[in-house]
Amino acid sequence: MNEKKAMQAARRRSLTFTLVRGAAAIGIALLVAAVLIFVSADGDRLAHTGEALRQLLIGPLFRSNGSINVKNICDVLAAMIPTIFTGLATCVMFSANQFNLGAEGGIMLGAFVSALFAVYVPLPAGVLPVVAVLAAAAAVSVMMLIPAVLKAKLGVSEMVNSLMLNYVVMYLIKYLLNTHLADKTKGQIQSYPFQEQARIAPLIDNGSMLTWGFVIALIFVVLTSLFMYRTRWGYGIRMIGINQDFARYSGMNVAAIVILSQVLGGALAGIGGGVEMLGRYSAYSWNALPGYGWTGITVAILAGNNPAFVPLAAFFMAYLNKGCLLMSTYCGVPSQLIDILQAVIFVFFAAKQFLAKYRQRLVVKGAQEELAAQKAAAAEAAAETAEGSVK
Amino acid sequence: MAEEYVVQMKGITKVYPNGIAANQDVDFNVRKGEIHALMGENGAGKSTLMKMLFGLEQPTSGEIWVNGEKVNLSSPAVAISKGIGMVHQHFMLVPSLTVAENMVLGMVPKKSGLFIDQKKAVEITEEYSRKFNLEVDPNAKVMDIPVGMKQKVEILKALVRGAKILILDEPTAVLTTQETTELFRELVNLKNQGYTLIFISHKLNEIMEITDRMTILRGGKSMGVHETKDVTAEEISRLMVGRDVVLKVQKDKAQPGDEVLRVRDLEYVNEWGKKMLDKVSFSLRRGEILGIAGVEGNGQKELVDMLFHLNVPNAGTATVNGENILGVSQRKIREKGVSLVPEDRMLYGIAGAASIQENMIADRCGSKRLNKGPMFDMKSIHAEVDQLIQDYTVLCKSGSQRVDNLSGGNIQKVVVAREFSNNPCLIIADQPTRGIDVGATEFIRKKLVELSRAGVAVLLVSADLNEVMELSDSLMVMCGGRIAAYFEDTSELSDEVMGEYMLGLKRQTPEEVRRVCHE
Ligand SMILES: Nc1ncnc2c1ncn2[C@@H]1O[C@H](COP(=O)(O)OP(=O)(O)OP(=O)(O)O)[C@@H](O)[C@H]1O
Ligand SMILES: [Mg+2]
Repeated sequence: MNEKKAMQAARRRSLTFTLVRGAAAIGIALLVAAVLIFVSADGDRLAHTGEALRQLLIGPLFRSNGSINVKNICDVLAAMIPTIFTGLATCVMFSANQFNLGAEGGIMLGAFVSALFAVYVPLPAGVLPVVAVLAAAAAVSVMMLIPAVLKAKLGVSEMVNSLMLNYVVMYLIKYLLNTHLADKTKGQIQSYPFQEQARIAPLIDNGSMLTWGFVIALIFVVLTSLFMYRTRWGYGIRMIGINQDFARYSGMNVAAIVILSQVLGGALAGIGGGVEMLGRYSAYSWNALPGYGWTGITVAILAGNNPAFVPLAAFFMAYLNKGCLLMSTYCGVPSQLIDILQAVIFVFFAAKQFLAKYRQRLVVKGAQEELAAQKAAAAEAAAETAEGSVK
Repeated sequence: MAEEYVVQMKGITKVYPNGIAANQDVDFNVRKGEIHALMGENGAGKSTLMKMLFGLEQPTSGEIWVNGEKVNLSSPAVAISKGIGMVHQHFMLVPSLTVAENMVLGMVPKKSGLFIDQKKAVEITEEYSRKFNLEVDPNAKVMDIPVGMKQKVEILKALVRGAKILILDEPTAVLTTQETTELFRELVNLKNQGYTLIFISHKLNEIMEITDRMTILRGGKSMGVHETKDVTAEEISRLMVGRDVVLKVQKDKAQPGDEVLRVRDLEYVNEWGKKMLDKVSFSLRRGEILGIAGVEGNGQKELVDMLFHLNVPNAGTATVNGENILGVSQRKIREKGVSLVPEDRMLYGIAGAASIQENMIADRCGSKRLNKGPMFDMKSIHAEVDQLIQDYTVLCKSGSQRVDNLSGGNIQKVVVAREFSNNPCLIIADQPTRGIDVGATEFIRKKLVELSRAGVAVLLVSADLNEVMELSDSLMVMCGGRIAAYFEDTSELSDEVMGEYMLGLKRQTPEEVRRVCHE
C-alpha cells in the first residue's frame, strides 16, 4: 500500500516537473519572440510588441473586445484532425525504432484514395465515407509495406526509403490528377466534386471546419493508446524499439513486428488523409505534399511517442500556428517567426538537462518526506507495541 | 589521524531521480595502500557509493575528501585527474572497436590530427598487458572477445589512465577460479606498489583472502568497518543479510529420465579461423543438472550461442526432444520449452528502458493466461509479476519501475525469474548467479535443484568452480573447444583434478568422454 502511494507521489512529481518544464520552455520561446518582434518593429515598438504577443497568446481564444471567439477555437480544433492522425502514425513507428517518415506521403495518398471513392463509387450515405476511409487506410498500408519489407528482409534504411516514397507518391497523384481525373470545367486543377453523401458532417455549423472527424481522431487516440500499452502487439512494438536483441531472444518475431509497426502507421496516416479530405473539402485539389506528416513528426516527438499525449501536442501546434497567423495578419509580424518559435520551444523540450536541477530538488524533497514518514510510522509502531506490552 | 586516509566520504546521502535513497548518511574511509572491501546485498548501494567517488553521480549531501583535500568530483574526468579509476559492474566498452582502441579511448595517442594511432595504441596495450600480467588480444574487436577478457580490458583501461586508487566493482563475477587467482596475485602486487584498491564482491572467500578491511552496507546505510582478520565469513553474511546463510544446497541423487537435449558433433570455426567447437557431443536428460566447467574462452560461450541460435555452427546437430533447434528462430526454440539465462544480461537479458513488468512477461506475452481476447489481462499480469518479484526477492518499489534503475544483482534476478518460470523443459543457465548476493544465490541454487528434481533438464555453465561442482549431478570439462573430461558423479571430485583437465594437462580417452552421450 505504502509503495503504491510512493509510486503515485513519484508520478505526481514527474508530472509537475513536465508541466513546469513545458511552461518554462514556452516562456523562454516567447521571450525570444518578443525580442525579435521588438527589434523588427517600427513606430511604437512597445505597444506593437504587446499587441503582437497578445495575438499570439490569446488571439485564438478572444476577440479584441474580450468576448470568446468560438470560430477561432473551432478552427484550432479542426486543424488538429490531420496532425493527430499523423502524430499517432509516427508514434507507432518511432516506438518500434522505425524512423519511417512516410506519414507525409501517406496522408496525401489517403486523401487521394478516399477522394476517388467519394467521386466515383456510388454507395449510400453512411456507408460511403466509411468505405472510402478504410480504402485509404488499406492503400497507405500497402504503400508502407515497401519500406517495411525492405527493412525487415534486407535491412535497408526505412528512413531514406520512406522519405523518397513521399515524393514518388506525390508525383504519381499529381500525374493522375492532371492527366486523367481533373474536372476540365474548373479554373484550377481539381477532381470532380464529391458526392454529397461522401462528406463527413460538421460538428458545429459555424463555418469552421470542425467536423465529426475530430471525434474520430480522439477515438483513434484512445484505440492507439490501448493498442500500444494493452495488447501484446503494441507491447512487441515497444520492446523491439527499446532493445531489438532482447525482443528476438525473448522469442518475438522481430521482422513481423517491424513490418506491423509501419503498416499500422500507414493505416493511421491513411485514415487521417481520408477524414481530412472528406471533412474539409468538396473536391480533391492537393497538388503538393500537405505538410501534415512533418507536423506529425513534431507532434510525436513532443508527445514522447506516447499516443495519449498526441492531442495535447497537436493542440499546441495548432494553437501556435493560429496565433502566429493572427499575429502576422493583424500586426504584420513575419510568419517565419513561427519557425523560430517552434525551434526554440523544441530545443528546450528536447534538452534532457534543462531544469534537471529543479527536478532533483523535487525528488529529494519527496524522498526526504518519504523517509520521514517511514520513520514516523516505525516510531508509531514501536510506541504501539510498547503500549501493548504495558497493557 | 585523518592523513592516513586517501579517501574519505563523509555523511554521504544519495537520492536518485526516481526517489530511491540508495545511500543514507554513509561514512566510508580508505587507508593508503590497503585493499578495502565494500560489501552488502544486492541493492545495498555499493555501486552507487562508488559511482559518486568516480564522479559519475553526485551526492545529494555529504563531502568527499581525496588525499586530505576536499574535492568536488563533478565528472569522471575530475576523478581520473585525482588518480581514481573504476572498473564497472557492467562493461563500459565500445563493442565495435578493438581492444587497443578501447584502451586509449578519450586519451588517444594521435598520429596526425583526428585518427587514432593504431600502432601506438597496440603498443601501449601490450606494454600494460605485460606489466600487469593481464593477457588480452589488442587487435580483437571487443564484441568478439569473451567476458573474462573484457574484464581484463576494463582493469587495464583504468591503469593506463594512471589510477592510483582503483575501484573494482565485482571484477571477479565472471572470472574462473584460475583467472581470479591470477588477478588476485596482481592486485596484491599493485597493493605492494602502493596502489589503493576498493573491492566489491559477493564472494566471501575472496574477501577473506585478499582484503585488509571492509565496510558493510545494508539498505543504504553503513553497518560499520571491520578488520578482515577479526571477522569470520559467517559473521559477515549475518551483518549483510541479517541472518545465517547456507550456501551448501541439499539435493537428493538425480534420477535421470529421457534424453532432452542431444548434441552431436557440433563444430564451429570463428572468424579468425580458430576452431572454437570441435566435435562436441553430449546428451542431457530429464531431471539432471549437467555442469560445464572450463576456463573462459574454451568454447562454452560458443556452445550456448549455438543452442539458442545466437550463432550458427559449421557442422553438427542439436535436438530438443527429438526436434532440431539449430538455425531455427528463438521463438521456435522457446516453444520447445528451452529457457536461457544469458551470460551478458545487459545485452539480451533485458530491455533497459522498459519496466520490470514488461521485462518479466517478454517470453510469455502471447500466452492465454495473460490475454483476454486481443487485450492484455492486466490483472493476471500484475498478479504474476508481483508473485515473481516476491519469490525472487527483487528489490524494487513496484513492477512498474524501470529495470535499468535496479542494482546489478536485482537485474539478474529479473532475468532469472523470467527464465525459470515459464515451465521450461530445458534451462540453459549461463552464470545464473553472476553478481547476486549470498542470500539470493542460495535461493537461485535451491530453485535450480528444485526444478531439476521436478523433471527439468538443466545445462549449467559457470565460471565459479564451486558452483558447478556443487550443483551439478554430472559434469563435463571443456578445453580447447573439446570435451576434455566427463564425470558421471561430482561428489568425489576435487579442485585439483578439475584444474588439470581445465588447463589441458590431462584429457580423458574418447571412450570415456563418449559416456556423456548415454548411448
Ligand atoms: N540510475 C538509477 N536510477 C534510479 N535508481 C537507481 C539507479 N541505480 C541504482 N538505483 C537504485 O539504488 C539502489 C542501490 O543500487 P546499487 O546499484 O548501488 O546497488 P549495489 O549495492 O551495487 O547492488 P548489486 O550488488 O546488485 O550490484 C537500488 O535500490 C537501485 O534500484
Ligand atoms: Mg552494484
